[in-house]
Amino acid sequence: MGKQATEMLKGTLEGIVLAILSGRPAYGYEITAWLRDQGFSDIAEGTIYALLVRVEQRGLVDVEKVPSEKGPPRKVYSLNAQGREYLEEFWRTWSFLAERLERLREGGK
Amino acid sequence: MATGPDESKSRYLQYLEKVTGSLEDKRRYRQYKARIKQLPESYRTAAEAMERYLMLLGPADGAGAIAMYEDLADLFEQSAADGTPIRDLFGEDPVEFVEAFAANYPLGQWRSRVRNRLISAVERAADEEPGRQDRST
Repeated sequence: MGKQATEMLKGTLEGIVLAILSGRPAYGYEITAWLRDQGFSDIAEGTIYALLVRVEQRGLVDVEKVPSEKGPPRKVYSLNAQGREYLEEFWRTWSFLAERLERLREGGK
Repeated sequence: MATGPDESKSRYLQYLEKVTGSLEDKRRYRQYKARIKQLPESYRTAAEAMERYLMLLGPADGAGAIAMYEDLADLFEQSAADGTPIRDLFGEDPVEFVEAFAANYPLGQWRSRVRNRLISAVERAADEEPGRQDRST
């Protein structure tokens, strides 16, 4: 993944993570692994962790501590009602942005 | 003389804490330090480096700082258990990651004072600005 892609991803990462969580609850490492599978190979585990702390503090996700075979209990995150609302707003903003950019590209041809 | 979190504070303790700072915070900080010591060596080295950075440039004081260090310990314990490589944990730019992490917690007092001073100064300057309507004409 190029530098430009990394930069662009930053602004949308919160929405991406909430969208992942809207499908099913997950813990930090699962989210990072999913992103890597999708080709976002430069995403740092710590970045996702910091982001999860932030959305937790803003009340967009619920957290449950689940015991794991190895190591300390995992924090499993799930999207709550407030998070869903936020995610809807994210998709509206995304549609707006994508549409305007597409228009800009077509205008340039 | 560790105190449990539920123990109601005696007058003496209240007085003492005026001098020493919160004993509860100190207990939690000691616990955090003990957790970091338990980590495998490479994670411990990285966690201590991150702590040093946060002590110097991050929200080292005030409420919320302890919670930040506890979250830091959570992250490193989990990463060690999952076997996440240090580079995957920090990414290409460690400073960027640590800053993003620290931004979640209340700022150290002088940092927020400096920021607020900038915000209010710009606000004052903008208010004093003459004729700021009709910029387009």
